[in-house]
Amino acid sequence: MAQMTQDEVFAKVRRVVAEVFKVEESRISLETKFIDDLKAESLDIITLLMEFEEAFDKTIPDEDAEKLLSVQDAVNYVIALEENTPQV
Amino acid sequence: MRNRVVITGWGVISAIGQNPDEFWKNCLGAKTRVERIPEHWFYYGDFHSQILSPLPAIDYSSYGIGRIEEKQLDTTSLIAIACSFQALDSAGLKCTTLDRKRNTYFISSIDKDRTGVFIGTGIGGLSTFASCYSYQVLLRQKEKLVRAIGQLGDHPVQETLKQVHDRMLHPRRFNPFAVAMTMPNACSANVGIKFNLCGSNNSYSAACASGTVAIGYGFKAVRAGELDAALVGGVECLRDDYGAVFTGFDAVRALATDNDNPDKANRPFDKDRTGFLFSEGGGAVLVIESLEHAQKRGARIYGEIIGYSQTCDGFNIMMMEGGGTQITRMLQLAFADAGISAGEIDYINAHGTGTRLNDETETAVIEQVFGKNVLINSTKSLIGHTLGASGAIEALVTALSILHKTTHVCRNLDHPMKDLNFVTKVASYPIRTGLSQSFGFGGHDAVIILREYR
Repeated sequence: MAQMTQDEVFAKVRRVVAEVFKVEESRISLETKFIDDLKAESLDIITLLMEFEEAFDKTIPDEDAEKLLSVQDAVNYVIALEENTPQV
Repeated sequence: MRNRVVITGWGVISAIGQNPDEFWKNCLGAKTRVERIPEHWFYYGDFHSQILSPLPAIDYSSYGIGRIEEKQLDTTSLIAIACSFQALDSAGLKCTTLDRKRNTYFISSIDKDRTGVFIGTGIGGLSTFASCYSYQVLLRQKEKLVRAIGQLGDHPVQETLKQVHDRMLHPRRFNPFAVAMTMPNACSANVGIKFNLCGSNNSYSAACASGTVAIGYGFKAVRAGELDAALVGGVECLRDDYGAVFTGFDAVRALATDNDNPDKANRPFDKDRTGFLFSEGGGAVLVIESLEHAQKRGARIYGEIIGYSQTCDGFNIMMMEGGGTQITRMLQLAFADAGISAGEIDYINAHGTGTRLNDETETAVIEQVFGKNVLINSTKSLIGHTLGASGAIEALVTALSILHKTTHVCRNLDHPMKDLNFVTKVASYPIRTGLSQSFGFGGHDAVIILREYR
């Protein structure tokens, strides 16, 4: 399977974020910050992680939550995960 | 202060109906739902009973519960919320969005601080605990096993190890909401959160009497004027991947064993009964309120709760006291609480499990206290035993029987164990006052008395 482009990853991340925070996708950009802009609580971050895992079929260690402060962080993180996953 | 307490709304999830209309129609049609236990359970054990009544798939999105929220609530809480939505809707209590992100509501026509939640459950979020436990125990061992299988090459034992690996079932992830999902009090707490109800909020655990006890305590709080209204009921979910909960009841020979005759195996009060039909779960919730409160808001009144009592056998953790002393005392206390005599009871929704001792003791007490004329049925003859939910579902049946002046048959009662007035056909019955009684492991005995509203 080919690796996803940055645009494809962003579209998927945005869909997940919109569902978790119950906001319109159009309100979410790469600059959107989970805590500052979306008023995320700790349980929201945990939920976000679970949903990213499911959406991208990857395991994300809980401690990596600290690295994911914005949509851009999430996109970069997923792309890095994809690059480190052997392609079949 | 002693308010009259009336029922103004109801909701139900069961094997034979996912709303009160469908459920009642199927009750009167003597519908049941029995299946063989999942085939893969035989990888893990042997079973005396090999049938159960499955909980059908429930579309929680029809209750506004999204995909993510569903994963963060145990099935018991989901059932409690679904039944509450139905009950509030039938009570004419409109739910308005309070917080879109949290997906919560408020009910503007009631005082949230004077509305409580009382939900019974036998084992709460056990199915969540079981799946998280499987993950914790198995994940790393399975990873080791995979490595070992890889190292074995074409060794003859490889196939067996692969099978062992594949039969070690667990979810993809440890659910970080495990504690909040497992705790039994989540059943009532989640209803309070969902509808922003801030009065007394309790989950009651009294095994198979849980639903009746919860309704009883809600009734007492409204009657005493501590609350205007309450959501009361019971819920249960007894699913797990390995059939371990089922085994718990099977091991003590509590379950029906006529496996070759699944449609007839469940036969409370029959001479040939062999145990109860294990149900995967369900629930029922009633809206109760003081008569004054209901009248003030112009609510439709379905019936009245007039008495409640509870005793304990103080005898044995699993076996009921065969003399039925505390069941008899429970009934006398309930009559006193309701201000009626035994002769005024027209209908009994019995505990009626189909186990040898329960039915023997229960019918002996009924005959002694009521004589031979009182109408008797067992809702468990249709839906099996939903444990902590059973008292609430049976209270609903009692209320429906009083309202409609008819009730369902005792299914599969071909050879009644005693000459009592068991319901054998659906007909018009002059039911004005009825009771629903429940007995639970631990020796919990509880009963509520309902009457038509006049």
